[in-house]
Amino acid sequence: MLLLDIRNLTLELETSQGLIRAVDRVSLSLREGEIRGLVGESGSGKSLIAKAIVGVLNQRWRIKADRFHWCGVDLLQLPFDQQRKIIGRDIAMIYQEPSKCLDPTALIAEQLHESIPNQLLKGGWWNRARQKRKKAIALLHKVGIKEHQSVLESYPYQLSEGVCQKVMIAMAIAKNPKLLIADEPTTALEASTQAQLFRLISSLNQLKGMSVLLISNELDSIARYTHRLSVLYCGQLVESGETARLLAQPFHPYTDALIKSVPEFQPDLAPKSQLYALPGSIPTLQHLPVGCRLGPRCPNARKECVHTPALERKQHHFYSCHFPLQYKEPQ
Amino acid sequence: MSRLLEVVSLSKHYRKQLGLFRQTTIQALNNVSFSLGAAQTLAVVGETGSGKSTLAKVLVGIEQPDEGEIRLAGQAVTLSHYRKYNHVIRYMFQDSERALNPSQKVGSMLDHVLRFSTVLDEPQRQQKVLQSLQQVGLMDEHIDFYPHMLSAGQQQRLALARALILDPKILILDEALTVLDPTLRAQIVNLLLELQQKNGLSYLLISKNLRLVRHISDHCLVMQHGQVVEAGDTEQLLNQPQHPHTRKLMGLS
Repeated sequence: MLLLDIRNLTLELETSQGLIRAVDRVSLSLREGEIRGLVGESGSGKSLIAKAIVGVLNQRWRIKADRFHWCGVDLLQLPFDQQRKIIGRDIAMIYQEPSKCLDPTALIAEQLHESIPNQLLKGGWWNRARQKRKKAIALLHKVGIKEHQSVLESYPYQLSEGVCQKVMIAMAIAKNPKLLIADEPTTALEASTQAQLFRLISSLNQLKGMSVLLISNELDSIARYTHRLSVLYCGQLVESGETARLLAQPFHPYTDALIKSVPEFQPDLAPKSQLYALPGSIPTLQHLPVGCRLGPRCPNARKECVHTPALERKQHHFYSCHFPLQYKEPQ
Repeated sequence: MSRLLEVVSLSKHYRKQLGLFRQTTIQALNNVSFSLGAAQTLAVVGETGSGKSTLAKVLVGIEQPDEGEIRLAGQAVTLSHYRKYNHVIRYMFQDSERALNPSQKVGSMLDHVLRFSTVLDEPQRQQKVLQSLQQVGLMDEHIDFYPHMLSAGQQQRLALARALILDPKILILDEALTVLDPTLRAQIVNLLLELQQKNGLSYLLISKNLRLVRHISDHCLVMQHGQVVEAGDTEQLLNQPQHPHTRKLMGLS
């Protein structure tokens, strides 16, 4: 069954310059036990989508969707408190800058205890504190922190960024969520800690069957750990499909450019040779081009590109482009 | 023939006060030596706290070394003639958005650099500013822009223009490429490679992205706790890492 099923999600913001459509009809579906990658450059609306799923978007945003199902229940139709209840029970999120997202005035132990829901504890209220302490230590061990005592007794500023991120993950998995949303979990970390975290996330996925939505702006760092990928550009979904197939045969020129701009995916590229790069830069949200938003930068844009292409399907591979690469039109 | 930049047994430590009377010393750089030739790229890799940024700061003169010598084209460098040698080594910061003055227009920002370190007169400076904007792919109209009006990629280009305006021989890139989006990074990398081929610029690249290091650098230094644990030809070093620390950095990245 589909865990999360979003059809044509549109997020709009009303400003003095008019209505800005930051996310334009994005569809996203997640199966149980799947790691899904969401890739896009800064300002492409990745974090907005994540926030819309957890329901923490600012009041000013207008959320519209044809379908916004969580386990078969349409979240947008539900009254607010029920929506919060479901999201609070099933979805957990970890944020980009862990040391800034943790409470600087509280000990790690207090913050961890707070994130453990009472429903998961057995017995009466009198042994709750002891159980919580035990559970907090178990959680820290689970995310790979061995010196639990010193970590529990410290404030976030005393810990390194990597340890803070692990504590965040421990807090997120405290309630055994069905879906973990990781919003650029590794940008602040160094290479060796990054790999550790990704391995931790994928082991959580394998052992507990937890679905993960992994958000990143670099294709190369998450490609190895994801089953499926969705690529966003400027709030539009450009391509989605199984990771291996998408990397082997991209249909959209933007995905193609992303893959080609990473030296790692090009083993026969001579050192110091020019990388493939799209001209121009990402448009600002106030000055979005009409139709396909890649239009002005696209190497094979034509007249038709002023109309927004519909999402087309080829087996399990979705793309939205009028002139997909390596695809011959039927005669 | 002497190399463009030679660094001989450079050391630097910081004192940290731990109370009224106690203090500890942190050895940020410990006996670091390397050399860099013209039109070459040297990559410095290592974990946070391994002394990469201290090395860069010592080289541009933000910090003074305790021991050791920096030689530019065979000549020893001291802080006292900073004005003379800041033409040769320029520094590009990690976060260009925050490294640019938000209340200063692009033109005057570049002009200030020239006014501080050259003897050019007004029209000459103007010409130089336009020339350096063109060099990095910005337009003449951008002179009247404030930094916030530029996109992230353009800001990065502006930071590059500010570094290149004095026609340096060496450019230090302190994680300048890591924060960029992939397609923008490819653009900037192409620009840097082109400048290296055309003008014979040398780069000191400080990065944790080993894929990028492999692509653009000729030589590589691996640092740990302020010491160079492994150095050599990038291709060779990354294909056959000898030191366990290098292997740790590679195997997990």
